[in-house]
Amino acid sequence: MKQRHSSSSSGVRPRRAFKLAAAALFFMALVWQHVQATRLGYQVEQARQRILALRCVNGALRMELESILSPAHLCALARGRMGMSLAAPESLRRLEASAPAGPRPGFLRHLISRTRQATLHT
Amino acid sequence: MRARLAVVAGLCLLPLAPLSVRLAHLQVMQHRRIADQVAGEVLRTTAEAPARADIMDRRGRLLARSVPFWSCFVERARIRDRPTLARVLARLLSLSNAEVLRKLQGRERFLCLKNELSDTEVSALAAAKLDNKKLIEHGVGVELRHRRFYPNQDLGSSVLGMVGTDHKGLSGLEMVFENRLQGRPRRLEYVRDGAGRAIYRSAEGTPAVPHPLRLSIDRDYQFHAEEVLREAAARFQARGGMVVVQDPATSEVLALAAIPSNALKNPVMQDIYEPGSTFKLVTAAAALEESLVSESETFFCENGTYEIAPGVFIHDHEPAADLTLQGIIEHSSNIGIAKVVERVGAARFYRYGRAFGFAIKTGIALPGETAGEMQPLARFNRVVLAAAAYGYGVGASALQVANAYSAVANGGTLYEPSIVADGRRPARVRRVVSENTARALSRMLEGVVERGTGTTARIPGYRVAGKTGTARKLDPRTGKYSESAYMASFVGFLPAGRPLWTILVVIDEPKGQYYGAQVAAPVFAKLGRRLLALAGAPPDQPAVPSGAVP
Repeated sequence: MKQRHSSSSSGVRPRRAFKLAAAALFFMALVWQHVQATRLGYQVEQARQRILALRCVNGALRMELESILSPAHLCALARGRMGMSLAAPESLRRLEASAPAGPRPGFLRHLISRTRQATLHT
Repeated sequence: MRARLAVVAGLCLLPLAPLSVRLAHLQVMQHRRIADQVAGEVLRTTAEAPARADIMDRRGRLLARSVPFWSCFVERARIRDRPTLARVLARLLSLSNAEVLRKLQGRERFLCLKNELSDTEVSALAAAKLDNKKLIEHGVGVELRHRRFYPNQDLGSSVLGMVGTDHKGLSGLEMVFENRLQGRPRRLEYVRDGAGRAIYRSAEGTPAVPHPLRLSIDRDYQFHAEEVLREAAARFQARGGMVVVQDPATSEVLALAAIPSNALKNPVMQDIYEPGSTFKLVTAAAALEESLVSESETFFCENGTYEIAPGVFIHDHEPAADLTLQGIIEHSSNIGIAKVVERVGAARFYRYGRAFGFAIKTGIALPGETAGEMQPLARFNRVVLAAAAYGYGVGASALQVANAYSAVANGGTLYEPSIVADGRRPARVRRVVSENTARALSRMLEGVVERGTGTTARIPGYRVAGKTGTARKLDPRTGKYSESAYMASFVGFLPAGRPLWTILVVIDEPKGQYYGAQVAAPVFAKLGRRLLALAGAPPDQPAVPSGAVP
């Protein structure tokens, strides 16, 4: 009888310890999750700020490019610096291509082999 | 023994009982209120708006874009040591100490110190400390804002309009398409830690970035239209001017220029003017379509002076005897067209005027469009009718006049002018005249350029059709027509065989010369030549060799 009692109490103790350990693990997981969420929150916010900053830089550069390519700027450069003038319509002729304008089949391969040969020779 | 232990334990735990009750009360009963209070203190919600949509021309070239930039501000209530803060900020923002101090004296709650901060300035501000505390604790912050940028400066400003400081459309297309251009913002939740740094929490919804708005305007055409108009206005010291370029097949607006340039106003469709002789097209169209006049029939043009009513005279600038309808149009005879309109009658003339779209809004997607004016039918007497036949007593917008000529150019169909290229088919309004009539009118207009008043609009190698117009302006002080202020205009299409463009040029109050043929027709020819060169359109007429007499 005594023996039976001691065996049952020794079985309860590990079970209780296991439960406590599981609860502690669960609690630690929650804490870890919270810490990770905060850490990732910092990272996301930093990345977001970086994206915004890069967007600002990109926007400024794009606008500079568009300003340079604006017709007024190009015209001023062409006329003022290069001495160009507008073409008269009668001085222009549009060439109508009778054959397809693209490269022939195998043209690119031919070009690469020729280039390679030329490189080898030099 | 056990009882004693229980008493001792009870006595020890007794003080904890009210604490437990209080804890349960706060955690269970007051949970929602306290959680909200905490959230209100540390949790921040912000709306992150996507950039306003781009506006592009018909070939996808940029006309307007919103560019983000960082702006530095200070919350006035949190400034403690103004001189020290000014010194630090002046160093970080590359401003003078005095300037920062002056800005910090402002009365607003948030004082803007500098816009368009560079990347390094933003980083420096974030890292900077003042008295061992971050600048943010002294009320200094950076904010992302947007600036509307027009890379072509004033190009098409009267069409594009402008946005206000709140980045909302104030005029032009920016105002009309406000909802379309603004995207849907998304809500961001974040908390601030003790050092004031943001910790991202969550985002609600996805930002709806609006698609670019593509216009029917061609950037190159717009540039050339504005340039030739500016040159003409400067040459004739004009008060203003307008140019419309349309695709006659669809009535799409390709260029809409107006000077003086004003982003808040577009006179091309907001203002009316008396179109003068360019309105003779309506009279001629009615006469031909109703078969009231044959092509060979002549009208006696009274050798330049005609008393239409006792004491009311009509004059021609070029006296003539007998002219056919073609001759009347070519030489722009007011007397001839007054006689033609008598045969057409007031009711038919009025009907055709309306059919060509006069005194009716065209429906273009631009704000503040005028319908124009035509006298009510009941008011038409012989004098009013005759004057209206050559464009007096009629108020039309430049867009209406161009659109009416586009109807003739495309074979007789009036379309609703469009400014947005949204891929939809052009909106057909009505057939105004038959194809035969449109062809006959086109021949007459070609004659104007070949032999008539519009020879200055000729372009060698190309067939051009058009009509000159010169109208005296009403003097608002006297209520009478001015002897010195004119509206000179020319409207036509080219190449006449297969029209690619309808072009209207109006010059307001030119000095020195004032006839449409002298002032507006050369501008038409200049712009036409540039458009032909840009499009690479082949000549449709054998060119006269240089030195040969045409």
